Formats: sequence, C-alpha cells, structure tokens
Amino acid sequence: MTEIVMRNLGKDFGGFTALADMDLTIGSGEFVALLGPSGCGKSTTMNMIAGMLDPTHGEIRFDGRMMNGVPMAKRGVGFVFQNYAIFTHMTVRDNLAYGLRARGVAKPEIARRVGDIADLLQLTPLLDRKAARLSVNILQRLAIGRSAVVEPAIFLLDEPLSNVDAAFRAVMRSELKALQRQFRQTMVYVTHDQLEAMTMADRIAVMDHGKLLQVGTPLEVYNHPVDTFVARFIGAPGMNLLAGRVTSADTGLTVDLGAAGHCPIQAGQGGEVLFGFRPEEVHPDPKGPMEMTVTTVERIGARTILHLAAGSHAAKVVLDSETAVPDQGEAFRFSVSPGAVRLFDPQTERAL
Amino acid sequence: MQRSLSFEIFRYAAIFTFLALSLVPTIWMISMAFKPIAEWQASGADLTWWPANPTLDNFRFIFGESGSDLIVALERTAGRPILASLLAASFGTLIAMTAGTAAAYGLSRFGAGGNLPLALIQLRIFPPMAVMIPVMIMWAFLGLIDSWYGLALIYGIVTMPFSFWLMKTFFDDMPREIEDAALVEGCSRWRVFLRITLPIMRPALASSALFVFILNWSDYLIALLLTTRDWVTIPVYMASLSSSMTGQLYGAKAALGLIAAVPPVIMGIAIQKQLVRGLTFGALKE
Repeated sequence: MTEIVMRNLGKDFGGFTALADMDLTIGSGEFVALLGPSGCGKSTTMNMIAGMLDPTHGEIRFDGRMMNGVPMAKRGVGFVFQNYAIFTHMTVRDNLAYGLRARGVAKPEIARRVGDIADLLQLTPLLDRKAARLSVNILQRLAIGRSAVVEPAIFLLDEPLSNVDAAFRAVMRSELKALQRQFRQTMVYVTHDQLEAMTMADRIAVMDHGKLLQVGTPLEVYNHPVDTFVARFIGAPGMNLLAGRVTSADTGLTVDLGAAGHCPIQAGQGGEVLFGFRPEEVHPDPKGPMEMTVTTVERIGARTILHLAAGSHAAKVVLDSETAVPDQGEAFRFSVSPGAVRLFDPQTERAL
Repeated sequence: MQRSLSFEIFRYAAIFTFLALSLVPTIWMISMAFKPIAEWQASGADLTWWPANPTLDNFRFIFGESGSDLIVALERTAGRPILASLLAASFGTLIAMTAGTAAAYGLSRFGAGGNLPLALIQLRIFPPMAVMIPVMIMWAFLGLIDSWYGLALIYGIVTMPFSFWLMKTFFDDMPREIEDAALVEGCSRWRVFLRITLPIMRPALASSALFVFILNWSDYLIALLLTTRDWVTIPVYMASLSSSMTGQLYGAKAALGLIAAVPPVIMGIAIQKQLVRGLTFGALKE
C-alpha cells in the first residue's frame, strides 16, 4: 500500500513528446485506470512509474520518497506485461517462484505462497508444466500470479487483457477486482478499453496525445466529460455530439439542431454549441421535438442500437429490446430530457 | 487448384533434377568408401553404382592397418588429423560464440560499440587470402604455427562476425519485456542474462554454433597455411592422400569424407528439436 504522486511529469523521445506535464496522485490502495487510445502516453506513464523509463522532467514519489533515478529492481513494484513476458524455459511453478527467489525468501515460505497463489488463480493442476505450451488465457493468469505472489505494494498492469478472448476477459475483470480487494495494493491499470476501466477502476484518468484530460470516478467521467474527446471515448457507443445553436424563447432555452429538430435545455448562453447526449438517455416519443432518419438497425440481444441521420447530423441511440423499433429508412421521433444534455464549445471542444 | 499434367511432369522433373544434383555426390562418396581398389579405380563401363564386393579396406587403410590390397604405405594415418580438426573447430566455435554472443548482446541491448559492429562484418569483404599471409607471419612470430590452439584462435577470430550477426538478430527479436519482467522482480542485469536470456536463447545459440562449427570444420585454406605436420586437419590431410604409384587414392578419400561428415550430422540431429521449435519466446508479438 503506497501512494504514488506524479508531479509535472513529462517524457520526450527526441522531438516527440510522449507525455507532457502529468500531475496525478494515486492514493494508497486505490485502483486507477489510465485510459486512452494507443499513443496517448499511458504506457509511457506506467513505464516511468516502474522505472523502465527515466522521466525527461518532473518527479515521481512513492509515499513521499523520491523515485527518480531509482532502478526498477529497487522500486518493489509488480508489473504485468501486455505480452506476458513469461519465462518459457521454466515450469509454471518456477515462474511463480521467481520473484520470491530473487528476494531470497526461505524455501518453505516460497512453496506455501506459490501454492496459495496457484489455488487462487486455478493454476494448481498446471504447476509442473513447462510454460512454453500454455494457452494465452493461462499465460495471462500466470503473468498476474507471478507479479502478485510477491505482494508488491504497487501493482502495475499494462493492457493485460487485450490478447485474451472476450469471454475470458469478462471473467478476469471480476477476478482482478477481487484480487485487488483482497491484497489492497495500489493498482495502476493501463487500457484502451473503456469498459475495463469503467468496471474495475476506482478512478479513471483519461489521456490523449500525451496529456491527462480528466481524472474522476467512472460515473464522473461518464456523466461529466470535460471535453468532446472524453465524451466520445467513454461509453459504448460514445456520446452523440450534434452542432446546434442555443436560442431563447418564452418557454425557455432550446438548442436548435436544424434538420434534427430542437431540444429544450436547462441553462446556457446564446450561440453555437455542440449538443451532447448519451445514446442510452434517449426517450422514444411520437410527439418528441427531435426527429432523425434510421440508417441502420443493430440488434445485439438485450439492446438495439439505431444509427440515425438528419441533414449533416449523425447519432446513435440505444434502446432496450422491449421497445418497438422503427425500420431502416423510417423516421424516429424522440426527446432527450434537459438534465441529460451536455453542451460543449465548438471551438475549444471543452464542456460549457 | 487444378494443375495440368504437363505442369505436374515439369514439377517432378525439377524436383528430381535438384535431388540428383544435391544427393548424387553424397551417394557416390558413400558407395566409393566401401569399394575395393579394383572397383574405385575402374573407369568407363566398369564403373558400378554400388560396390560389388563391399569392404572396409579403405577405412583400415587410412588408419594404417594392414590387410589392404594397397601396397602403398601411409606416412601418417587419419587419427591425428581427425583429432586436430575436432580440437580446432570446437574451440574455435567456442571462442567465436562466446565473443560474438557477448558483443551481440551489448549492441542489441545497450547500443554498445557504436559503428564498430559494422566494421566487424566488413572484415568479411576481404578475400581470406589477403588476410592470411600477414596472419601466417604473425602466427609464426608468436609460435602458433602447427598447433591446434593456434588454429582454434584464428578460427574463432574469423568466424566471430558470423556468430555476432546471427546472435544480434536473435537478441533483437527477443521481447525486452521478458528481461524487464525479471529486472522488476529485483534481479541484477548479470543474473538476468545468465538465468533468463541465455536459457531462452538456447535454440538460437545451438543453431548459430552449428553454423559456425561447420564453417570451421570445412576450412581448408587457413589450415593449409598455418599447419605443417603435427596438427594438419582433415581437409588438408585428405588432399595429401595420393601416391606416385597409384595417383589419387579416391577410396581412402571417400572413407575419410564419410568420417568427416559424421560430427556435423550428429550435432545437427542433436539440436534438431531446438531448430524445429525455433524461437517462440512464449510471448506474444504485438
């Protein structure tokens, strides 16, 4: 259990800035996800916490201790790599015991702890198998086990689930969360999958182009994105953003969306805006003020996703499968409750 | 895919031609090694594919045993040259692999050496003959002429660029994360290299070593220049297998050739599993 403080942290590779001025404090025992598309600087941040990369500027502290320049062997962090980096010439047991042996733990203690972690991750029947012939799913568990067995105060995971199949990913999401609850390590989890970040993390740090855009609980970043990037990136599908203009009438403020109709809002100033609403927050309403044409209907079991278009606008709407769904080419009338609307500045793309 | 008959005929003809070109000399050597003198000396229509009266006389002859139909006596037998070749080629390979692997690791991981590695491979653009005369003078000065260790040393120097470049490509292909994973657990660089990197690299080391060994094993020129009597190697000794009475001793040469083929073949079989398995690293490539 260790608090990680990053202050003014940055990394340049030649002329390329991989990370610029990151300020982030990760609390002791907290599970923070670094979320963003590839190239956003999240892995660079992680590698600097682990000590694989030296920061160009800024500092990293663990519980107040300055970590800049401390070699990775001395930082006491656990690291799970995206490609697992399993020692294939060893058995599963030797892989699990590796960190304990390197730390000079006594043999009976090693045996006990390896046994415990193998039980927890259901690796016990495989302990004496050579690691070279294991399936991807097992390699992934083994990689987590190898790092977790030494009970590091800080546990770093770099996209650990991106290579496993979808069903197993869902299982591992809950197991990782359970693992962290049990050991209470400080956990930093790098991912480009917003679903992983939303389901596991205590807080999400959304990054893009080397910048930290927003830090908050999953619901905060979902409900109150600071800019259009976060709005689009969080949620599946992401938030709809339509160009509109705020006008005031005697009935109150509305956003005029041209071909798509209009929508009442609670507050705002006159002028051009980007009108944002979540696909899940749409109410089908035959008398609703908004109307768009259905271009595609995607039925995915419990939910149906409608792709809509009107003029230059495009939007997606998620309905539960109980709702009557219009066919392709038909008009779809709906309303968005004023409380669910988010407005963004079309120039700066920041939330208004 | 539907293939026409003429294409199939062409395909099999091409395969057969290639097989014949590559296998016939080997088969001919094996056959000749077991032929008595009358058969390997025959010419024209008397030549047969297989020995009519198979015999081990050729092998007995090169090891100096009597009972051969040959009336010539050998000044030296094959035992000593076989020992010379084994010692020089093995220790030469050891030198080349040790230096080459260390240099390759340094360059691949830390960029050590700057442009020197490029110079290393450029050594190979000189024809060996151009380098060998000065080396011969140096070796004479150092008292290394006609010794197995003198030969091993120059073999190590000459083949080191090969082991270096082979190992460098293998190290470049190895995911760095495997080493990082061990480093992050608190291991020293040196321990990581010995306990993680080298064991994982075993197939690469084995195949590179075999390649280098075959280069050293089949050298003729260097051994010809640097050995005189006590430590001549198999190729040099083989060239001397002739006499004024009988001319070239083809049967004896074939027998020695067959013996010379044994060590590389045994090594190849021994590491075949490693070669076939290749380098998977158990990690996923992105």
